[in-house]
Amino acid sequence: MSEEVRDDLKYTTEHEWVRVKDHVARVGITDHAQHELTDIVFAELPEVGKDVKKGEELCVVESVKSVSEIYAPVSGKVVKINDALDDAPETINASPYDDGWLVELEINNPDEVAQLLDAAGYKKLF
Amino acid sequence: MVKKSPLYEVQKKLNAKFTEFAGFEMPLLFSSIKDEHLQVRKTVGLFDVSHMSNVWITGPDAERLLTLTTIEDASRIGNNKSQYTTILRDDGTIIDDTIFMHLDDKFMIIPNAGMDEIVTEWMQKQVKKHHLDATIDNVSDQYVILAVQGPKSKEVLQELTDVDLSKVGFFACQYATIAGETCIISHTGYTGELGYELQISSAEKAKKIFDKILKSGKQFDIKPIGLGARDTLRLEKCFLLAGNEFEGGRSPLEAILSWAINWDHDFIGKEALLKQKEQGTYQRLTCLKVPGKGIPRHGNDVQKDGKAVGVVSSGTLSPCLNKGIAMAYVHPDYRGVGDTLDIMIRGKKVPAEIVKPPFVAKDWSTTQE
Repeated sequence: MSEEVRDDLKYTTEHEWVRVKDHVARVGITDHAQHELTDIVFAELPEVGKDVKKGEELCVVESVKSVSEIYAPVSGKVVKINDALDDAPETINASPYDDGWLVELEINNPDEVAQLLDAAGYKKLF
Repeated sequence: MVKKSPLYEVQKKLNAKFTEFAGFEMPLLFSSIKDEHLQVRKTVGLFDVSHMSNVWITGPDAERLLTLTTIEDASRIGNNKSQYTTILRDDGTIIDDTIFMHLDDKFMIIPNAGMDEIVTEWMQKQVKKHHLDATIDNVSDQYVILAVQGPKSKEVLQELTDVDLSKVGFFACQYATIAGETCIISHTGYTGELGYELQISSAEKAKKIFDKILKSGKQFDIKPIGLGARDTLRLEKCFLLAGNEFEGGRSPLEAILSWAINWDHDFIGKEALLKQKEQGTYQRLTCLKVPGKGIPRHGNDVQKDGKAVGVVSSGTLSPCLNKGIAMAYVHPDYRGVGDTLDIMIRGKKVPAEIVKPPFVAKDWSTTQE
């Protein structure tokens, strides 16, 4: 089964993707991650306004069988969360890069963006 | 060393995603845990249960050995009948739960995955200590167990055997020829649905039977089912999983297995149980359903008004109910059906309602569209 890696995104070694526009980073999990988790049945998203440091727990995604912590790929303040996942957590499986996005962070340390992997760097992990 | 199921290659071709369980590499799922779970409730599924153990107990004192080491009086279990029971330590805690099958002059017990040596050694110790004339033969490496479970399971298997399955009652067991191969069939299962389990004495026979069941079951839309769904299916029916429900040392009284205790015979652990029964303050297994969001997991603390009253032994998302469900050991004063307890999930209080077992009623599928 081929897993999709989008060329226009940044990545972490923990299988999160990041789409940066101006000072906002939209975060989600990759196709590989959703495939590993299988049916996602619950996404526990952070409160809007919460400050997170890079590497800290940002949110939790659960499958029937397991609990997966998702870590902040960059430091920032949570400005938006994907409410649609409340009723339809399986959207993360169906559309990990688009409708299944998790959180938007207002970046407070732009240098961290440069530290993220590009698509080629992420593909090397496999 | 991790053992592979003899059906590994077959399952790989069926797109199994494997996981390690009790030292065995087994299919976790083939398509999705939820789909496989609902498949079994609504139609029929085929399980590879080869990781579980098989032990023959034979000899003039075979029945006596079982009577001594389990909470059942084995003389009450007639030929071609099986019984669910537990093997206890002297202190009354459960070593393992198992089914034992009476097959003519032999008994077969089915210890859990990875428990065959512990159970066999324990039994052997009692044979010596009590001077019994019984032989214990661990055939776990040879035997493969398959399970066919779901409303269509009888029809699927009837195509493959001359045994009239309508005459094989609940918990009955017998030798049979299935798909041209000899094996032991029992009207038993771990899903709460109509179903049968097959004890097959070789990997070669098992591969043939597995293949033929999938072929004959095609007309009933049979699918292979992984361990992920096996766990959600059993938890919806409040069946115990040894690794979870017996962790830390639990007695059959705590695990709500009093119904399986036959007090009219002497057995190892009886004195300890009588003392525990008299004292009465032991935690008891309790069924909790989460009306809101949140999935309880093994190890979550259970509280009442901020006070610690118990711990979750098994938790998951119920595919039938789409709600979190759990079994938890709870202090006897806080177990009223209908009352609310708080399950501590990642530091948050998640309210849960105490319900009567099972979480999902018999014939649930007939209530669905």
